[in-house]
Amino acid sequence: MNEIKFEKTTLSKKLKTMIGVDFRRLFTSPLFYIMMGIALIMPILILVMTEMMDGMVTVDPNGNETIIKGFDNVWQIIGSKSDAQGAGGGLDMMTMCNINLLYFALAVIVCLFVTDDFRCGYVKNLFTVRSSKCDYVISKTLIGFFSGACMIILFFAGSMLGGAISGVGFDMDGVVGSQIFMSLMAKIFLMIVFSSIFVLMSVIAKQRAWLALVGSLGIGMLLFMMIPVISPLDAGAIHVILSLVGGVVFGVGMGAISTTVLRKTSLI
Amino acid sequence: MNAIEIRNLTKSFGEKQAVCGLNMTVPMGAIYGFIGENGSGKSTTEKMICGLIHPSSGEIKLYGRDYTDNDVRSRVGVLIEAPGCFPNQSVWNNLILQATNLGIKDAKKEVIKALKMVRMEGAASNKYKNCSLGMKQRIGIAMALLGEPALLILDEPINGLDADGMRIMREVLTDITKNYGCTVVISSHILGELEKIATHYGIIRHGRMIREMSATELENSCPTYVALKARDMSRAKALLNLKYSRVIEADGYLRVYDAGSSEEIVTYLYENNILVSEIMTDKISLEEYYIDLMNEKGGDR
Repeated sequence: MNEIKFEKTTLSKKLKTMIGVDFRRLFTSPLFYIMMGIALIMPILILVMTEMMDGMVTVDPNGNETIIKGFDNVWQIIGSKSDAQGAGGGLDMMTMCNINLLYFALAVIVCLFVTDDFRCGYVKNLFTVRSSKCDYVISKTLIGFFSGACMIILFFAGSMLGGAISGVGFDMDGVVGSQIFMSLMAKIFLMIVFSSIFVLMSVIAKQRAWLALVGSLGIGMLLFMMIPVISPLDAGAIHVILSLVGGVVFGVGMGAISTTVLRKTSLI
Repeated sequence: MNAIEIRNLTKSFGEKQAVCGLNMTVPMGAIYGFIGENGSGKSTTEKMICGLIHPSSGEIKLYGRDYTDNDVRSRVGVLIEAPGCFPNQSVWNNLILQATNLGIKDAKKEVIKALKMVRMEGAASNKYKNCSLGMKQRIGIAMALLGEPALLILDEPINGLDADGMRIMREVLTDITKNYGCTVVISSHILGELEKIATHYGIIRHGRMIREMSATELENSCPTYVALKARDMSRAKALLNLKYSRVIEADGYLRVYDAGSSEEIVTYLYENNILVSEIMTDKISLEEYYIDLMNEKGGDR
């Protein structure tokens, strides 16, 4: 009979294999490509449709007339300036119909991705060969962050295309290119915060995707108004640092809670 | 060193105790038949060994180390209930994912080897959801075999398999224990099939291990009997009951358990004008042994 040897598995090796599996799954999942397509097409549709409706007048049952106002420039779909009413203010079109919608799209990706593991029993394969729940949470949070970052980049590309198609101007309106870049970076780092929250909701819900989605979208709504404040269009380095630090702190905190949930509850 | 050693294992779900003070020892290289009724705690015990559910109390050691040890766990192959596969992915992709998860360097080679072992090479490109129940079970076994596991835990792996599938499974399990020193824990209700491969048995009832023994011990504790057919069965039974302590009628035969030899019975019946038309000596099967044991322990909790 052969002697049984147990190879020492290092933390980095375990994490690497887990991330490798998750990325392979992500890239073979139709959901990923659908969501990326939505991120690309959404700004084009928003810009073209709002431009078509620009100047139209609607009349409510009381006879009050409202003039629909489209975007003044393409950058408004990326974010609003910190001194604008939309940033931290009311829920106007500029605040609602912009890049920040992607945080809800991220909830769909993360919740379906994680709950699928529980629904089809894949967690059985995963946790019988490694008991580290921490690897799992880190890997899923990174997948969420990566997907979120990809969506933001694609949304930006879609905005450029949408601007060109709809004829909405590219004038900077007091904002410089580096600020837009900083704003995008801040939004990307904010994805860590949302990704870690959505992972937590999903590991709590386990195979119940609907529960994970309802919980994630609910918490997403609560935090939605924070996004334009932390990542305004005229963002500076401080906004990027704030998002990064916040993302890491939130990621570690939520990750620890998610790991505890996995450790303390039955996996199937 | 034993492959699995469990001491005083307990698992409660609220008020209900699924496993209570279970002790279990699985020697290295054994094919351990884990037997019990539905709800006796087999699957719960297996899930605890795999780390999928947490014990309320007790100790589980795999190869002398705590069951949570990652180094040991990376050499554990599992098939609990149904295989954990993504339905929309191909069989190949599912196996590659698991091979990557195990950190196998040459994942493709290993997957081909596992598919060959379960005779599923031709179905690699099929979507998992389109596979039959028997195919899914074999995919589950292939998945469990990835990375040359030291310990295989299989929960009802032969359910849904046709006769050929069962034969393949027998060959695979015997092969991996002989050639790779793999230890197998296999739970099944198909005791006739289990009897052909198991080297050790553990019988669980109401969450407690009521008997643990090797196949040799089982054979020694399984009584032999003489089965016969006579022209006048009722008179033969009445006569045999006078001389022997345990005579039962089963499958159209009279079984005499404490008979000295078949010649002795034939002579005895002949002297009483009863002709024996058929006679043979046999041993009770695992299934009969198990049923007898369950009846004997019927009131125990």
